[in-house]
Amino acid sequence: MNDNTEKHSSHELFSGVVIAATLSPLLGFYTLMITHHISRVSKPLDQLIHSYGQWIPGSVGSGALGSTGSYSGKLALALIVWLTSWAVFHVLWRKQELSIQSWLPIFSVGLLIVTLGFIHPVIDPVVLFILNLLEV
Amino acid sequence: MTIIEHHSSLSKTLIRTQAAIALFVLLWLGGFDFFFPSNFRLQAGLHGLSTIAALVTGTFLTHRAYHLMRGVHINFKSLRYWTLTATVLNFLGVASGNWMYMRYRGEGGAKDWILAHTPTFHNVMMEFKEFISLFPFPLMLAVTFILFYYGDDIVTRRDLLNFVGLLILIAWLFLLLGFVAGLTLAKLHFV
Repeated sequence: MNDNTEKHSSHELFSGVVIAATLSPLLGFYTLMITHHISRVSKPLDQLIHSYGQWIPGSVGSGALGSTGSYSGKLALALIVWLTSWAVFHVLWRKQELSIQSWLPIFSVGLLIVTLGFIHPVIDPVVLFILNLLEV
Repeated sequence: MTIIEHHSSLSKTLIRTQAAIALFVLLWLGGFDFFFPSNFRLQAGLHGLSTIAALVTGTFLTHRAYHLMRGVHINFKSLRYWTLTATVLNFLGVASGNWMYMRYRGEGGAKDWILAHTPTFHNVMMEFKEFISLFPFPLMLAVTFILFYYGDDIVTRRDLLNFVGLLILIAWLFLLLGFVAGLTLAKLHFV
């Protein structure tokens, strides 16, 4: 079956739905990465990130059971970005035909970069460079 | 019944039996945690069971992913419910992982021990694992949503089938990375 036939037979299916459903988690992953590195800059910034997640069970506490600490804030912010952007993009693109072929390399490279962003020996020189630029 | 039909039926039975045995035996990798001498064996056992079940389901789904990408006939109703199951298991893995993570950071927990004895495993491996382990759940939820949203009509779009297949493979890769890192950390210091 060639591409033209596929497009003709599937005119009711819009790929915008797929791109909305996969761009939004990617944005959530970037939120995790950015908030993670912000929380490492200073104690006040760590507390700021933590404050967004204190509604999540287990986010505050001490002793043997411990708590998830500022990880909860990173989760909460990523959750907000993921679900909000998904809802917005879905409404905007659900009747639009967007190119999966163009989206595929953007999605793949985006995922690769955010994954590397969690490997400290790889990303720390970049974080330090940005902090120096910002004179933090 | 012809000989070919008989063999087909036999191999199907053997495949299912092998998968069931593999799942049952592998589940004990986490299931034995319930009997470990620790006050936090419940957290460990639940996290172990949910992540192993998620990994086995995710691995099974990679075979379906190749079917999708090859464009061969596939039972989409079955696939939809399998991806839904994988999504639920991934969610349970994340939720139980959060519960475990509390203890990991708690007084006298694995984090303190690892930082004192071999800090790179926390500073590099755990800092990587705690985030990438979150990836499979939203990716598998996206797959499930896409399959339910389009229904069987998705079969007319090879580009979407390829992309969905790739998403399943990517979710599996992050599951495997998180699983191996988690197992390594648990071997270093049990909760």
